[in-house]
Amino acid sequence: MATLSDILHAEDITSLQHLQLFARTVVEGFTTGHHASPHKGFSVEFRQHRPYVQGDEIRRLDWKVFGRSDRFYIREYDEETNLRATIVLDASGSMNYRGGKGILKFDYARKLAASLAYLLMSQQDAVGLVTFDSKVRDIIPCHTKITHLHVLLETMIKTAPGKDTSLAPVIESLAQRLKRRGLVILISDFFDDPAAILKAVGILRRKGHEVIALQLWDRDEIDFPFGNWARFENLENDEDFLLLDPATVRQRYIEVQKQFATDLKEGFRKHQIDYLSLPTDESHSMALRNYLALRMR
Amino acid sequence: MTFLNAILLWGAAAFLIPLLIHLLNKRKVVTVRWGAMHLLHEVIRQRKRKMKIEQLLLLITRISIPIILALCLAQPVLNALRSLGLGSSSLIVMLDDSFSMRAPAEKAAVAGASVADTARADLQQITESLPGGSAAQIVLSGSSPRKLLDQPTTALDLVPKKLAEVPSMSGPVSANDAFQAATSALKDAPNAAREIVVVSDFQEADWKAIADGAALPALENLSKQEPKPQITFYRIGSDLAENLSIASADLSALVAAETQPIGVRVRIKNHGKRPWQDIPVHLEADGARLRTARVSLAPEGEAVLSFTHAFDKVGDHSLSVRLEGDSFSDDNAFHSVVQVRNQLDVLLIDGKPGAMPLEGAADFLELALTPHTAAANSLKDLIRTRKIDQRKLRRDDYKGAEVIILANCQRIQGNDLAELDKFVKAGGGLLIFAGPDIDIEHYNRELFRKGEGLLPAAIKGMARAEIADSPARVLMQRLTHPSVLYFNDARGGRLQDAEFRSWIEFAPPPNENTQRILSLDRNAPLLLEKKLGQGRVIACATTANAEWTNLPLQPFFVPLMQRLTTYLATEGSAPAWQLVGSTLRMNLEKADLGAEFTLRDPTGQTQTLKSQQEGDKVFVQSPPIAQPGIFTLQRAGTEKTTLLAFNTDNTESDLKPLPADQIKKIADRHEASFADSLQAYQSLDRTRRHGSELWQPLLIALLALLFFEVLLQQRISRG
Repeated sequence: MATLSDILHAEDITSLQHLQLFARTVVEGFTTGHHASPHKGFSVEFRQHRPYVQGDEIRRLDWKVFGRSDRFYIREYDEETNLRATIVLDASGSMNYRGGKGILKFDYARKLAASLAYLLMSQQDAVGLVTFDSKVRDIIPCHTKITHLHVLLETMIKTAPGKDTSLAPVIESLAQRLKRRGLVILISDFFDDPAAILKAVGILRRKGHEVIALQLWDRDEIDFPFGNWARFENLENDEDFLLLDPATVRQRYIEVQKQFATDLKEGFRKHQIDYLSLPTDESHSMALRNYLALRMR
Repeated sequence: MTFLNAILLWGAAAFLIPLLIHLLNKRKVVTVRWGAMHLLHEVIRQRKRKMKIEQLLLLITRISIPIILALCLAQPVLNALRSLGLGSSSLIVMLDDSFSMRAPAEKAAVAGASVADTARADLQQITESLPGGSAAQIVLSGSSPRKLLDQPTTALDLVPKKLAEVPSMSGPVSANDAFQAATSALKDAPNAAREIVVVSDFQEADWKAIADGAALPALENLSKQEPKPQITFYRIGSDLAENLSIASADLSALVAAETQPIGVRVRIKNHGKRPWQDIPVHLEADGARLRTARVSLAPEGEAVLSFTHAFDKVGDHSLSVRLEGDSFSDDNAFHSVVQVRNQLDVLLIDGKPGAMPLEGAADFLELALTPHTAAANSLKDLIRTRKIDQRKLRRDDYKGAEVIILANCQRIQGNDLAELDKFVKAGGGLLIFAGPDIDIEHYNRELFRKGEGLLPAAIKGMARAEIADSPARVLMQRLTHPSVLYFNDARGGRLQDAEFRSWIEFAPPPNENTQRILSLDRNAPLLLEKKLGQGRVIACATTANAEWTNLPLQPFFVPLMQRLTTYLATEGSAPAWQLVGSTLRMNLEKADLGAEFTLRDPTGQTQTLKSQQEGDKVFVQSPPIAQPGIFTLQRAGTEKTTLLAFNTDNTESDLKPLPADQIKKIADRHEASFADSLQAYQSLDRTRRHGSELWQPLLIALLALLFFEVLLQQRISRG
């Protein structure tokens, strides 16, 4: 069983400390954070005065203005709110692959999820976690307390890759469960029907969630470097296998893989979803840093 | 199907390598458990069936490559294609049929087989292995080259039968003439592909000059022909180096009187490297051995023997010289026919008789033709002369004369001219001597008659050597005319001792009927001969007495005049001997048309010959004579027989072969091939005919397969 240190290294934490994740969209929140909220409320940032209308709370009247001008004005403030980020971690069988280079895809996913959780919580954002394979396995609701990080990491540690993937139904059910708008970070290899996946994330988007899709690839899944005759067995289904000479299909496989990745990327772009392809032989923190730098611009 | 390099076929086993790799690869399967199966399924979905076919194709291609490579290197020969007529060609064989080919062959399949036998057997195999539709022609290249068949034949089984009839008794090969004959035979060749095979023992005597760089224009022209014929020099060697031969035999007289002794001078040559002791040499007359002498010969040395014999009966007699001792016997004998006659009547017409002895124009001649009579000794002269002053000549005087000699006759008037013309055309011999009194204009007008008359050539004028100049002499060269052959040997007399102060100059002869017998060293003819009708005329540029020349004072004047006279007298009859390979031809009277003759060869076998007519000439002619010896021609129903002698060409007796490297050098110079065994020839032939033709398509197939393999591999990789 994995330990905490396996998934969250000290150096990862150091490299991430200096980064801030700024959501593009305002989400609702309780705690003051770095994310601006369009909702006017209790805050220190004054926005404007407006004439009192019936129904306004009496306590929001600016009595100083009334003393000077004998008119009722309401003071309005920009509210600073915290982010509600839900990390959706794929724990299906296909994530249980480790090729010649890099590490196990699921380990890479856990490290990525842990790094993100730590980063978000360090800036007072609320972070939740969902793990799934063919269905949702664990749901940890969003919290901002620092002790909550421990709960998240514990869940990640005890989770092991399961069997079949059904990403689209999982996202759809998630869209039903997440009542408040927020950030949904999908960490998966997305080895499912792209059309179904895009349809499901479309529902999330329509509900006002911002979505980030992080797709993990083992280098073998990109380059198909196998030489001799090989029996390819499906990690998610023991009865599914293919016996073939890899050299004879390599070129075609690479084309199909590229097409699959491109289809996903294009679909996400249409839904204004940030997409990042992450090979497991590249440093996840470095990849993440590049992505966050991009978002801060 | 056969293979030139069958051992390389084992290379085809290399097909097992790709097969084993294929099978081992299938066995050495690794298991990959991974998640991207849906991508692989997508790849495989459309291509599964196609992939199986492509995999199979790739395997077959990879297995085929080493098999075809091995086939290519093994050079397959498809005999089946030959019988279908693919690669058919016209083969011209230039077969040396000179008698040196009768020497024992060095690598004979049958013990004791001669080079000619081996050549025949090899040619049979060569023609049998020709592809269907091929044609063959044989050019016999000895002596005068000739075709064995009228046309190249596609009935190849006919060739060995025809070859069996070739006696191989011809004289030396003249390579250029033989190649010319082959060129002419090539014109009739029905196939586009043409081959020439020169089959010979390549005697040094025939080929040395060519090996040393002498030009072979006929072969050079052949090489320039398009398409160029394939030329092969095929040598069949003999292991016989030692040979003795009769190099020459000269008779002192071709015609003799009864009991008149005839001298025979025989030159015997040792062509080998070993000495010979006491070789018996026999003289035979009319088939009976008369005398035996013994000679010893140093290596490559010569010996000369002389015999004399007198025949006591009038008629044709055979005279042979035969030596014993060496194994190659065809050139060990010399045969000749001697005519023994009662009398030979000669009419001397003296244009200017002298008052004193030897002053007249024909006095020296009378003396030279009848020496014994003049000396009043007991010996008999063959020739009987009648000397008549031209001014007293009557028509009756011509009767009985066999030879007429004109000496310094100023003019020949109408009747005499007509008589002489008639006399010569009927077969008589006329000898005309010049002299200071002859009327040159008259001679040119009446006797030369623009080439139609008696005189062999027109007279340009008189010529003389000035006192200060050295006198003209006889030009010394190899003499070829039968009447003067005897003088090629200095012991017959030194012709160049005669001095000429004056002579008449003849214009160049007008036609081929005229030939030069002797020349002066001033590039002027001394003796000219012309054929006219059945007879002959010889014109001499100088006088018959000592007025212009000291010729009559020379010792050889007697034999020279006697030989000229007997030559003219015997012209109508058969020659003393002929070379084997020539035909026997005897002119007959017109009344004899239809007569039959029996020809008996030296072994006693006979054949019947019929007289033939050609134009106004009637004659009897035999096929070419194929063996040396004495032949007898007898007119059917009569006792009249004619003897004929045939000898081999002694230049063939030197059996020394040209070394193989030199023959190869000649071949290389003319872009021809060289083979010295049947195997080598067949290998050459296969390489030329099939090897080069069949491995090329295989190589192209191999290259195509290699390309196909690469393309297929790329296609499979692309999916």
